[in-house]
Amino acid sequence: MFERITELMSSQTTLNDISGDLDALTTTENELSSGLKINEPSDDPYGASVVVDLNSQLSQITNYQNNITDANGYLSAAGGALTNINNMVNTIRELAVEGANGTENTSDDQDEADEVNQLISAITQATQTTYNGNSVFSATPATRTIGPDSQTVQVNTDLTSLLGNGTSDTLLLSTLNKISSDLSSGNTTGLGTTDLQNLDANLSTLQSIQANAGALTNRLTEASSALTTLQSTDHTQLANTQDVNMAQAATTYSTEQASYTAALQSGAQIVQESLLNFLTPG
Amino acid sequence: MTIPSLSGIETALSGLEAEQTELDTTGNNIDNASTPGYTEEVVNLAPSTPTEISSESADGASFTQLGSGIDVESITRVRNEFLDAQYRAQNTLLGHATTTAAQLGNAQSALGESGGTTPVATALSQFWSDWNSLADNPSSAAAAQALVDDGTTLAQTLQSLSSSLSSLQTQAAAQGAAIIAPNGELGQDVNQIASLNTAISDAINAGQDPNTLEDERDNALDDLSSLGNISVTADADNPNMVDVALGGAEVVGGAGADMPAGLWVGMGGELGALALQSSTSTNATGTIQSYINSLNTIASDLVSTVNGALPPGTPFFSARGTTAATITVTATPTTATTFGNSDANSVADLQGGSADLAYAALVGQIGDDVQSAQRTQTTQQAVVTATQNQRESISGVSLDQEMTNLVSEQRGYQASAQTLNTLSSVLETLLSAVGSVGM
Repeated sequence: MFERITELMSSQTTLNDISGDLDALTTTENELSSGLKINEPSDDPYGASVVVDLNSQLSQITNYQNNITDANGYLSAAGGALTNINNMVNTIRELAVEGANGTENTSDDQDEADEVNQLISAITQATQTTYNGNSVFSATPATRTIGPDSQTVQVNTDLTSLLGNGTSDTLLLSTLNKISSDLSSGNTTGLGTTDLQNLDANLSTLQSIQANAGALTNRLTEASSALTTLQSTDHTQLANTQDVNMAQAATTYSTEQASYTAALQSGAQIVQESLLNFLTPG
Repeated sequence: MTIPSLSGIETALSGLEAEQTELDTTGNNIDNASTPGYTEEVVNLAPSTPTEISSESADGASFTQLGSGIDVESITRVRNEFLDAQYRAQNTLLGHATTTAAQLGNAQSALGESGGTTPVATALSQFWSDWNSLADNPSSAAAAQALVDDGTTLAQTLQSLSSSLSSLQTQAAAQGAAIIAPNGELGQDVNQIASLNTAISDAINAGQDPNTLEDERDNALDDLSSLGNISVTADADNPNMVDVALGGAEVVGGAGADMPAGLWVGMGGELGALALQSSTSTNATGTIQSYINSLNTIASDLVSTVNGALPPGTPFFSARGTTAATITVTATPTTATTFGNSDANSVADLQGGSADLAYAALVGQIGDDVQSAQRTQTTQQAVVTATQNQRESISGVSLDQEMTNLVSEQRGYQASAQTLNTLSSVLETLLSAVGSVGM
């Protein structure tokens, strides 16, 4: 304490206290109105940098989720097309089995060959299925990032190992063409032996491709639920870092308001008193 | 024993004059109770030289002394020079802290924090999302267009932040230059001190008490102390004048004033802070230039990582602009459609990488610097207030004290007047008795 107190000192001290109270009140008011603890980086420097990081992570998670939706679209388009192809190949197999048994006459064989040709062009059509303008069975790899640490999935289903070149190999398209020509030429032996054997081998390749697509869909579901967990953790952390605790802030606000009012009241009274009030002119 | 018959009247008169001077001084103190920088004045009184009286007795002649009243020696200020020096040193630190907090606060505002995010953070997120969309749909003209647009937005946001920070530096330099200009704040204080030096010296030589002039000079020195680190010494040739050095360079030498040619960091105070914040070549932390440097690192990192993930020959950002002020997008929507799924994925994977982390760190750094500057300012303000109160405790005017003085001085004046009255009636008695002889 000082030995001697002057009026200027007490009024200056009161003024400093009042402006300090008002400053604190304004800060809390700002927090309450924005709902945010951090209205400027200096309010909580570390928190502010965490908020930037978390927002960046959350935007990345949204991107991953979009990618998963996109990948799912690809896979379901491919899955539908593969089921159709499987059905059509099985129909052709039944026709080939009938042809191999040699029970029909020549004109029936020709009808069957025509039907097989129709199915072949339908299969070719199915292999050109697109999703969002992009071919789902393209041989060029197309990948989607579905999670942190470069978790990627290949969304295109490469059918090269199934379809083949259509003429000289033993893959699906060549086998189907062979069945068609054997049906029209009545080559029952060919139909019953190599054609059916090759067709069955191709069917098994087709089934394993379908199984792969199914496994991939499961992986996407798992990745999606992992992202949802991560997203909710990030949201919680973001809220803890930058959102104001309303109850606490409201309490602080009313405390600060009370102390501001008290400072104003005492300031108005203290500074008025002086010896002057008690001296009477004599 | 002989006593001059009128000496009592002289004595009573000196009492009246002394009380009058005291009453005037008290009145002046009361009038100036709330004048900034006014120092309480006191009247220094001393008994006047006594009259020697000779008396004759059986032992011979002897002398005795008779008091002859009171003299007004001087009217002086109640002031402590050490507190002045302490106040000025603290005020320099406060000037530095206040200016630094204001400058860094402006840099923080330039980030444009609003609703928990900043324009650069938003633009970065959008930019990476667009690469992700392009990866999902490499041939989509819409995705390519959005990428180029948002890439341009990102570049412009960085450019605008960089230019806001640069203009803060320019403004700080201009502010400093205005202060040290001949008619600026510094020039006015320095010229005032120099001319007050002359006026005070003249007044003292003429035997006056230049209290008001000294208050003015102290005020000007207080004012000057917030601008820079000053040292005040008595002039070697004329001890009634003061020499002032600002940051070690003399600005007042007796009656002459010298203005500094420019700003330098060592000036301390407001000018030193402005010199530091306006510097474009410093590497010191807590400066606007350090933020520009960080921003440049982010920009060059963006350019090199994004372009590096793309095939050579088809850069996204122009290779010529590798600073925050010069970063520009060179890719067009047409070239963007040639990037393909794999390359676009590689770029999208850069999200959350070095550029994002560096930006988050920059935001944290600026916040940290502003917070610590504001804390220094608050602490320093408290120290200055405490020193000011100490000074005020000694030099300030207490109205209660003045009122008490007023009462006792009024009584003293009344008593002296009563003495005069008594002497007058004594003389009258004598004169009337003597006067009747021979009439």
